[in-house]
Amino acid sequence: MGLKDFVKKAAFVDILRGMSVTGTYFVVDKVTFDYPREKLQVYPRFRGAQALLTDPATGDTKCVACMLCATICPSQCISIVGEQTADGRSRPASFDLDLSRCIFCGLCEEVCPEAAIVMTRQYELATFDKSDFQLDKEWLVANAVNAHKELFALPPAPVAGVTPAATTKEER
Amino acid sequence: MSDPIAQLIFLIIKAVLVPVIIVMMVAFIIFFERKFAGFFQGRWGPTYLGPWGSFQSFGDIAKLLSKEDLIPVRSDKRVFRLAPYIIFVPAFLVMAVLPFGPVGGEPNLFGYRFDYVIANFDAGLVLFLALGAISVYGVVLAGWSSNSNFSLLGGLRAGAQMISYELAMGFSVVGVMLMAGSMSLVDIVDGQAGNFWDWYFIPQVVGGLIFFVATLAELNRTPFDLAEAEQELVAGYLTEYSGMRWGIFMFAEYVNMVVISGIVSTLYFGGWRAPLEALDFIPGPIWLFIKICAFVFLYMWVRWTIFRYRYNQLMSMGWKVLLPLSIANLVVTAIVVSVT
Repeated sequence: MGLKDFVKKAAFVDILRGMSVTGTYFVVDKVTFDYPREKLQVYPRFRGAQALLTDPATGDTKCVACMLCATICPSQCISIVGEQTADGRSRPASFDLDLSRCIFCGLCEEVCPEAAIVMTRQYELATFDKSDFQLDKEWLVANAVNAHKELFALPPAPVAGVTPAATTKEER
Repeated sequence: MSDPIAQLIFLIIKAVLVPVIIVMMVAFIIFFERKFAGFFQGRWGPTYLGPWGSFQSFGDIAKLLSKEDLIPVRSDKRVFRLAPYIIFVPAFLVMAVLPFGPVGGEPNLFGYRFDYVIANFDAGLVLFLALGAISVYGVVLAGWSSNSNFSLLGGLRAGAQMISYELAMGFSVVGVMLMAGSMSLVDIVDGQAGNFWDWYFIPQVVGGLIFFVATLAELNRTPFDLAEAEQELVAGYLTEYSGMRWGIFMFAEYVNMVVISGIVSTLYFGGWRAPLEALDFIPGPIWLFIKICAFVFLYMWVRWTIFRYRYNQLMSMGWKVLLPLSIANLVVTAIVVSVT
């Protein structure tokens, strides 16, 4: 042990340096989230449980029952039954999603031509009942409140002379 | 009412009040230990029970009381039951010799003399050292009687740890005894009368540091919690204990922490005396309380900063560093005291 080490040990240099580190942590702002009372703000592309967006013009879901999401889904957790409305538009009669099989890959959102199905910021999905994971159309439509905020800016407001469908076609 | 009867009544009041106050302090010190453990690590600590989480200890007590009291079949049951109290009782007994205000002098309460100490005992310091040694028996017996490998290792380590620090601790306080010319804690505080530069931590800085390090070992706290050593020995001598029996061990550890903080502040930091004579209008118990809180905080700070020393490191530090240093401190103090 050299003289330098001896002086260092006798003056408790290392211990005092360590105590200053913990002393600093004692006074700085804490990093903890007070979770159940303070919700974590997820990042803008977070992929939580899906939601079906409604068209503000018609009040019905934007979904046209094209089956693209059910086809691309790697875990095949989406099952849709389509139907025709009186004016010839197709819509889903039922839209079931098995969340216990969903892998939250977001492919359904990417493939949707109508931007009807979206991933949301809903991450509190723990439940005591397995049947709660069998999501139906009502649940998915209601879950739209959890959709990412910037998505609500996307559907253009209906403008006189321009039908909403035409606008979306141009965007594509 | 004659004076002896008044003194007896005062004694009973003191003997009830002091432990009750210290127990209440301990309940909140356990909460602050957890809170500050979080703070030192950039966390929040307990926040749920009560304002700022401050009733956490009471929740802990309710939990411990509701737990099953397990006693291993092949343990030495009588010793197993006795061991917690061997640690618990000495921790409380040391309070008796700890002065928390002026002793002797003029009548100061309703025409009677109220001494701010439970027992004005001539060899108070020796009593403290002796009781500290007894509490190690509790750890060793708990480790032995549990009939478990981890417990036995913990007990053995506690024994080996004790012989490494106890000598250095004894020698380091002899310096204070020489300077005060007495082994009574009351006289030691009187010897430090005046401002804070008259306290013994300046002439006895080496002895004070040795004593502080030795008390860390005596308290079985990190960096010297070898007897418990969660990462190596599950919980050391506490492995087989559960419920309130375990709680008594924990409780005794924290009572010990308060009492030893009081001893450190009495020996080296002027006990109940104010740091400046101008501040003497604030009563002694409050100053002692402030000093105890400061040292408890220091113990927590050390605990949540420094890693556990290895077994052989503690032994070599105790025998090769602390003991020679404390003897040198004693020799120098003896020469200086006899010359001046």
